[in-house]
Amino acid sequence: MRRRVRDLSAVFASLGLIAPGLASQVAVTGSLFTGVAEHRVDGGYGVERSSGALLGSAASLLVFRRLELAVRAEGGTLGAASSGAVDRDMAEVDVRLRGRATPWLIFEAGYARRMYSTVLARQAWTMLGAGVEGRVALLEGAIHGVARADLLPAVSVSGLPGPDLAFTSAAGVEYSHGALGASAFYSLERYDFPTVNSVQRLEQLTALTLRFDVRLLPR
Amino acid sequence: MRRALRAGVLAGTLATSLAAQSRSADVLQQATQFYERLDVEHALALLRQIVSPNWGSDVSATQRVEAYKYLGACLALTGKPDSAVVYFRAAVERDPFAELDPNRFTPAQVRLFGEARRRTFAVAVRPLRSERIDPRTAHLSFTVVSTHAAALRAELRAASGSSSVALFGGTSEGLREIRWDGLQADGRLASPGRYAFVLTGRSQLLDRSDSARVFFDLGHETAPLEDTLPDLAPGTLLPERRPSSGPRGDLVKGLAVAGVVAFISGVLPNRALGGTMRGGAAVIAGAATVSGVVAFVVGRRHAGIPENIAANDGRRAERAAQNAAIRSRNAAKVAATILVVSPAAGAGP
Repeated sequence: MRRRVRDLSAVFASLGLIAPGLASQVAVTGSLFTGVAEHRVDGGYGVERSSGALLGSAASLLVFRRLELAVRAEGGTLGAASSGAVDRDMAEVDVRLRGRATPWLIFEAGYARRMYSTVLARQAWTMLGAGVEGRVALLEGAIHGVARADLLPAVSVSGLPGPDLAFTSAAGVEYSHGALGASAFYSLERYDFPTVNSVQRLEQLTALTLRFDVRLLPR
Repeated sequence: MRRALRAGVLAGTLATSLAAQSRSADVLQQATQFYERLDVEHALALLRQIVSPNWGSDVSATQRVEAYKYLGACLALTGKPDSAVVYFRAAVERDPFAELDPNRFTPAQVRLFGEARRRTFAVAVRPLRSERIDPRTAHLSFTVVSTHAAALRAELRAASGSSSVALFGGTSEGLREIRWDGLQADGRLASPGRYAFVLTGRSQLLDRSDSARVFFDLGHETAPLEDTLPDLAPGTLLPERRPSSGPRGDLVKGLAVAGVVAFISGVLPNRALGGTMRGGAAVIAGAATVSGVVAFVVGRRHAGIPENIAANDGRRAERAAQNAAIRSRNAAKVAATILVVSPAAGAGP
C-alpha cells in the first residue's frame, strides 16, 4: 500500500500538481457513495415532494495532514412522490477546501454547482459556503462521530432571487480500519427564499448517505 | 600564639627525650664495646645503670631488651648462669622476638638464652607494614612467635565485631608465618575497615597462656563502579491500559452525535415543508448510539493496550540487559580489587 502511495505521489509530482519534495506529505483518498435523498419544495402551490437514490464519487488530496482539497460529484433521479411534483434529475459538483485546525475541528469553504432537470425546465444552482466540522474519536480513533454545519451566504438560482436563509448541516459516524473507511450521514439543506408576490418559496433537501473510502495513506 | 607556645614546648620535650635516649644509646654502645673487649666488669656496671629505675635518661624498649641481653651474656661469661637466665628472661618477656646471634655469642650463652625461652612463655605478632596486596596473587603475612612450644590459635576479627576468620590453629614454636588471602569466612573479599589479628597461645611446657594482637586498617582500591540504571519510571512508559474514563466518554460521544442528528432532523427543517427523512435520521442516530455503546463495551473489556504492553516489555528487557552488563563489568572490577593494608593505632601485644 505504501508503495502505491509513493507511486501515486510520484504521479502527482510528475504532473506538477505538487512539488517533488512534498510527495511524502501528500495523501489521497478516493470515495464512492450512495444514498437516498428527499427534495421538498413549496413554491406557492403546496409542498412538492420527490425522492430517489443518488450515486457519487469523491476524491481528496490531503497535504501536510492539515490542508485538504476535496472534489465530489453526484447525481441521481428523484421521482415524484406527491401530487403536483415531477420527476427531476439532479447532478452536482462540489469543490471544497478544508483546513484542520485541530484533530477535532475543521474549517471549510466550498463551491458547488447543482443542476435540477425536469421535463419542463432546467434549473442551475451555484452555492458558495463556509462552515465548520467537529469530530470526536471513539475507540482510539477507529470510529469518529462527525457533525458539520455550513452557511451558504451566496446562492444563485436561475430564475429566482437568492435565498434569505441557506445552510447545510450533517451528522453521522465514520468507521475506519487501516486504509478503508465507511461512513453514514444524515444531511439537511434548507433554503428560504424571499417572499415575492406574497409567496415565499421554500426548498429543502435531506439525504441519508453511505460512503466508502479508500485512504491511500491513513490520516 | 598559644598554639606556637604549645608547639615550642612539645619540640623542647621531644628534643630532651631524644637527647636522653641518645645518652642511653651511647652508654649502651660503651657497654657493648667493654663486652667485646671482655671487660665484663665495666660492661656490667654500665648495663646495670641503664636498666636501673634510677637511670636518669629515657630508655627505649629496644635499648632495654638489648641491655638485658648483654647483661645475661656478661653474667654467663662470669659463671653465673642462673642470673644470666634471669636477665635473658627479662629480655624475652619484653620482646619474644629477641634472639642471640650464634655468630656473636658463645654456645653456652645461646644455650642459656634457650633455657630462658623455655622458662618464659610469651607470644607476639610483628607489627605490620603498609602494603598493597592483590588477593588473587598475593597474601598478607603475619609473623608470629612463641618463646617455646605452644598451642597457638590465630584469628582475624573485624573491629566492628561483624566477622572473624580463623587463620591458624595448632602447635608452633619460635617464628611462624601465617598467611591471609584477604577473604572472609564466607569466601567473599573482606570488607574495608579496622581489623585485629589476635594471637592466643597456651604453653606446652608451662601452665601459662599469653596473647597478642595487632590492629590494621584494610582498604579497597577498586576502579570506579558504574551505577545501574534506575527502573523505568511509570511516566517514561507507555500507558498499558486505557483510562477508565475512555469507554464512558465514548458512550457520551455516541449519544451526543445521535443528539445532533435528532437536532438537525427535528429543529433545523422548515416546518412549513412538513416532515423530513425522519427514518433516515433515526438510522444515523441509532448507528451513532450503537457505535457509542460498542465503544463503551469494547473499551471496558479490552482496556489493555497490547502494543504498548509489548513496547514496555521490550524497554524493560532492554533496561534489564543494560543493568546486567553493568553488574558484570562491576563484578570484574570488584574481582580486581587491591587490598590496602595500613597499621593502625593500638597495635602490639
